[in-house]
Amino acid sequence: MREMLAREDLAKYPFLRKASSFIGGYGLTLKDLAAPEYSGIVKRAVERVRDSIEGRKIVTDWKDPETEILAYPLALAFAYGLKAGWVIRRFATAESKRCYELLKMEDGQKLIEVAEDGFGWKLEPIEMNVEGKRFDFMLGVTEYLEVAPQFHSANWKLVNRYILRGRVHLKQSEVARLLSESVKNKIVKRAMEEEVRKFEVPEAFGPYLEEVMRLVEKKRKFYDDEAPVGLVEEAKPPCIMAMISDLAAGKSLSHMARFTITTFMINVGENVDNVLRLFSKVADFDEEKARYQIEHIAGRIGSKTKYAPPKCDVLKSYGLCVGANALCERVRHPLQYYKIRAREIARGAAKAQGGRKAA
Amino acid sequence: MEDLGHRELAFLQFGEHMMIRHIRFMDEVSLRDHLIHETPAHVYYSSAYYKEPQAPDMNKKGWCGADLVFDVDADHIPTMCKSDHDKWKCLECGTEGAGFPPESCPSCGKKRIETTTWVCEKCLDVTKNEVFKLLDEYLIPDFGISLNDVEICFSGHRGYHLHILTESLRGLASDGRREVADYVRGVGLDQKLHGFMVLNRNGPLIGPDIRDGGWRGRIARSIYTYISRCSVEDLKTVIGSGSAADTLCRNKDRILGGITKSPPSWVGLRGVGIERLNRIARASVKDILCNIDERVTLDIKRLIRYPNSLHGKSGLKASRITYNDLESFEPLSDAVAFKDGEIKVYVREAPRVRIGDHEIGPLKEAEVVVPKALGLYLVCKGAAEPRA
Repeated sequence: MREMLAREDLAKYPFLRKASSFIGGYGLTLKDLAAPEYSGIVKRAVERVRDSIEGRKIVTDWKDPETEILAYPLALAFAYGLKAGWVIRRFATAESKRCYELLKMEDGQKLIEVAEDGFGWKLEPIEMNVEGKRFDFMLGVTEYLEVAPQFHSANWKLVNRYILRGRVHLKQSEVARLLSESVKNKIVKRAMEEEVRKFEVPEAFGPYLEEVMRLVEKKRKFYDDEAPVGLVEEAKPPCIMAMISDLAAGKSLSHMARFTITTFMINVGENVDNVLRLFSKVADFDEEKARYQIEHIAGRIGSKTKYAPPKCDVLKSYGLCVGANALCERVRHPLQYYKIRAREIARGAAKAQGGRKAA
Repeated sequence: MEDLGHRELAFLQFGEHMMIRHIRFMDEVSLRDHLIHETPAHVYYSSAYYKEPQAPDMNKKGWCGADLVFDVDADHIPTMCKSDHDKWKCLECGTEGAGFPPESCPSCGKKRIETTTWVCEKCLDVTKNEVFKLLDEYLIPDFGISLNDVEICFSGHRGYHLHILTESLRGLASDGRREVADYVRGVGLDQKLHGFMVLNRNGPLIGPDIRDGGWRGRIARSIYTYISRCSVEDLKTVIGSGSAADTLCRNKDRILGGITKSPPSWVGLRGVGIERLNRIARASVKDILCNIDERVTLDIKRLIRYPNSLHGKSGLKASRITYNDLESFEPLSDAVAFKDGEIKVYVREAPRVRIGDHEIGPLKEAEVVVPKALGLYLVCKGAAEPRA
C-alpha cells in the first residue's frame, strides 16, 4: 500500500521531485520571492545558508512545512550565487547531515518512496538475519556503487558486503548514509553546470543577503588557505603540467621535480593514492617506497612543519620552470598561481590568463 | 555487435605503431568491406557507447555507458608450464631465466626485465578455468548476471575477454568498476566483516554458514575445504604455531562437523584465536580468487579486440564462444583461421608449439615447411620469417 508523501515529508526532503512539483504549483519565479509577503521564506533561506557556513546543525522546522519547502530552493540559489566552492560544499554537507538524521529513523515505506522519487533508486524491504547480522533493505549494485566508492572505510567496499543476485544487503542506517551522500553529491555537482555557473542572485535580495555576504568575506580568508579539495585540472601552473606530462610518458624526474609535484598535489588536497598513481608509469617505480615518501610528506600537513612546493625562483634554478605565462609574471609561487586560477575558474571566468598555452 | 553505430573502432596496421582511431561504422557490412580492403593487423572497438564515436576529442564523444569487461590473460597467471616455454632476461646485467618473470633481477636487483612469452594448451586451459570461475562463482550468483548478457571471446592470443552487456551495469563509473574488480579478486576482503566475531568477551566464536551467499558462504566453504585438506606442516606455516596446528588437525573432524551444522558452530576454532583464524581464511580463499587484469575492467573507454577478428600477433581468430561451447573449446585448434596450405619458414627460436594437429619444436635456427596456420603463428610472434 503506497503511502502518499505528505507536506511534512516534502519539508523534510525538499530535494524530491515531488517537492519541486509542489513548488511549481505556486507559479512563482525567483524574483517574485523578493516581495515583502514572502520575507519569512527569504529569511528562512538566508538562515539555512548562514547556519551551514557557521557549521551549525540545520533543524527542520515542522511548524511551517510550506516555508521549509519553498525556502530550500531559494537557499540553494543563494548558496550557488555566492560563487564560492566552499560555501556550496558546506551547504551540501549540512543538508546531507540533516537528511541523514531523518532518514535513519524514517518509516520503511517512506524511505523507499524517497529513494525512488529523489534518485530513481529501487529499494526493496527485507527482513533478514544472517548469523547475527540484520538487513533491512536490498539495493541494486549499480546504485550502491554510485555513492559507496566515495567512502573509504573497509565496510563500504563491495567485497565486504553481502550481495545476492545483484542486490546489496543493507541496514537502514546504511541506506540513510547512501541517500544523504547522494543529496550532497547532487548539490555539489549542480554547481558545475553552465547554467548555475552563470547564475546571479537578483538584486532585490540584496538587503537580505548583506549579513551573509559579510560573513562569507570574513570566513573566506580562513577558507582560502584551504585550497579546493582535489585538483582543479585547468588551474595547474605550466611547470606542474610539464612535470605531470613527463611522468605520464614514463620519464624519470629529478628529486626536486618529484618533491615539487608531490608537495603541490598534497597541498591542493589530492590524496596519497592519486599522487601515487602519477608516478606509476615511471620505469623504476617502487610502489612501497614511493608510498612511504608521499605519506611522509602528506603526514606533515596539519603539524607545525608544512611541506610546501618550492617557490618559482627555486624552480628556475633547478631548471623546472618551463617559461612564464602572463599569470606567472604576477606570482612568485606555484600554489599562488593555482589558487588564483582556480578561483577564476570557479567564478566561471572565460578570460584565459596567460599568453602561451602550457603543455 | 551490440549497437555498432555507437562504438568507436580502431585499427592497427602491420608495421605501424600508431592506431587509427575515431572511426565509426553504422553497419557490419561496411566494416567488413573496410577490413577486406585495409587488412589491418588488429581491429578494436570501444567497450563504451558514444553519441559521437567518431569525434577525435575524447571529451566530445558523449560517453553514455560501457560494457563491463574482464580480461583473463595467461601472462598474469603463474602456471607450471611457463618454465617450459617462457624466458626472461634482465636488461641491466643480462641474467636470464625460464618461467614466470621475477619482480626484480635476482642478480642485480634492477627491475628492467624483458620477457619472451608463449602460450600452450595448459596455460590456455588454466585461463579458461578462470573464465568459468568468474562466471559461475561470482558474476552469475552474486551479481545476478544473465548468460544472455554475456559474451565470451578468445582474445586470439593468450586468454579470454568477458563482455557483460547487462544494461543496468553500463552506467558504472570507473570507481564502481574498481569495486567490482576488487570483489572478484578479493582485494580488501576482511573476514571480520563477513561474520567472524567473538560474542561478548569470552563468548562463542560465531561465523558464516557454508550455505550463505556472497563472500560469507565463500569464506566458510573455503575454510572448510582448506582445513579438510591441509597438512600439519601447511597449517603451521600459515598460523605460525606448531602446537595450535597440531591441536587443530587432531580435532579436524569435530571442527569440520561443526562448520557444516545449521546454524554453524565455529566453536572448534575458538582456541586458535581470531588473528590466526584470519590467516587461515586468507590462505583458504587464494584459489577461489580471480586472476584478471583489473586495468581493463576499470577503464570506461577501453579499446578491446573486435570479436572474431584476427589477432596480428598470432594469426588466430578472437573467436566468440557461447558458454555452453566454452568447455570443449580448444583455442589452438578451434581458433585457426587459415585451414589449408603450407608455408616455408625460417625459425630463429621457438619452444614446442602446437597449432591445430601439427606440432613442432623446440627449434632454433631451422628452416621448416609447416601448415599455414602454424607458420603464420610463428611469423606473427616474431620468431620466424617466411621463405619463398
